[in-house]
Amino acid sequence: MIEFKNVTKCYPNGAIGLDDVSFKIEKGEFVFVVGHSGSGKSTLLKLILHEETPSAGEVYVNEFAIHDMLKSEIPYLRRGLGVVFQDFRLLPNKTVYDNVAFAMQIVEAQPKDIRRQVPVALALVGLSKKARAYPNQLSGGEQQRVAVARALVNNPSILIADEPTGNLDPETSWEIMDLVEDINQRGTTIIVATHEKNIVDLMKKRVFNLESGKVTRDVLEGNYTNED
Amino acid sequence: MYWKEIIQMKIRTMKYMVKEGFVNTYKNLLMTIASVSMVVASLLIFGIFLMVTINLSYNLNRLKAQTEIVVFLKTDIAAMEADDIELKIKSDERVSSYVRLSKEQAFAQLATTYIEDSEIIDGLTPEFLNESFRIHLNNADEISEFTEELGSMNGIEEINYPLESLNKLSAFMHWVNVGCMVILSLLLIISVSIIANTIKLTVYARRREIGIMKYIGANDWFIRGPFVIEGMIIGFAGAVLSFVLTSYLYNAVASFVNTNAAEYGINELVKMVTLRSIGGQIFLIYAIIGMVMGLIGSIISVRKYLNV
Repeated sequence: MIEFKNVTKCYPNGAIGLDDVSFKIEKGEFVFVVGHSGSGKSTLLKLILHEETPSAGEVYVNEFAIHDMLKSEIPYLRRGLGVVFQDFRLLPNKTVYDNVAFAMQIVEAQPKDIRRQVPVALALVGLSKKARAYPNQLSGGEQQRVAVARALVNNPSILIADEPTGNLDPETSWEIMDLVEDINQRGTTIIVATHEKNIVDLMKKRVFNLESGKVTRDVLEGNYTNED
Repeated sequence: MYWKEIIQMKIRTMKYMVKEGFVNTYKNLLMTIASVSMVVASLLIFGIFLMVTINLSYNLNRLKAQTEIVVFLKTDIAAMEADDIELKIKSDERVSSYVRLSKEQAFAQLATTYIEDSEIIDGLTPEFLNESFRIHLNNADEISEFTEELGSMNGIEEINYPLESLNKLSAFMHWVNVGCMVILSLLLIISVSIIANTIKLTVYARRREIGIMKYIGANDWFIRGPFVIEGMIIGFAGAVLSFVLTSYLYNAVASFVNTNAAEYGINELVKMVTLRSIGGQIFLIYAIIGMVMGLIGSIISVRKYLNV
């Protein structure tokens, strides 16, 4: 569950990230966040991850109040969130298996749980056979799948994807989005920031449109633009 | 989670940190060598000052311990009163040794001193001389307290001891200590910043990894751990090396001083502390300073990258 109440974010240089934004995302929802660069998409994701804190207003993510929490609580907030980036952000010197296992090691999981969960996550993204490969031996789509497996292996309740298909060709993009939809079917809340009009239009999910820091449109089963 | 599992978790995490720390140290071998050399350089300079201070205070304390208090009794003192004073000196815990010089003994000493010019003491009889005590204390710092107590007793004419030179010695030792501390702190600051810079290179090389770890929800201490270990390895290696160098240097200087002192016949006056008696403590001091420098240096260098 994510809730923004009258959230404003001003950066020290005077730029406005978000301007009095309020919304609520329930558990299990699938939301596209669309808008031009600089419209506030990144700010919105950064607030959810506590990379930034709001200048005014309240932000709730799971059981955490972003606007009012200790720095020492940040790791525990993030353990409930899976994150996927446009540039994959895999560790080049670790195998696919180790990249995914790494996410469990750093939250100090038990080795027996790691041995059980990592193959499950790799099977989910269809990469069981590439477990021993290194990231540079994989295609872009495969690398993004590894990133998704890594984001999911700790069973987060929310998956955040920032332009997940930005570096992929259209066909691979659809593979990733199908995977994300699968994950959503299993009950994980999904937030995808994207520029890809045809993906948004065809998937018919909830769409947030941001323009200069304001939500100009929030529709269920919406399109990328307002034309219909 | 049960406490047993928590302990297992902590042990696993420690193992991971130590392993990563050693791997980093090895991967950065060139920079590790550079930082270790800097630690060695500063510990060595510090060590030289430390050794000089230790030997100075050792010799000054020996000098102080030789300080003699001379107590002259009144010439007309009753024998019983003199015995009272002796009992007081004898029973005092601060006294390490004393000698009682009777009038006759004092006269005999004078006679031997002026054996060539015996006319000087012509007509002098023991009756004119004072009976005296020559006293050594365990701790020269207690002299003024001790003499004040003694001076309040009846039958004492005068108490003599080299107050002026004792005070000068104490002041001198104080300033040697202060100077040593100032130089030590400067060296420590320099070393910490150099270690911090070395580890910054590792941190910079691994900033992507640190970023990913932050996003996945690693604790700050989990991220910092390997770098802290790296810093402490550098500090400890520097401590071991500089201890070995200091030992060689010290032994060489000690044997040089001792042979030369023997030649000039001052080997009773100037003595160097044996390395064996202080080696353990010196190594401990080096190891602690080295590892604390590494610890602080690594924490400084990681700090910036943890604020994501």
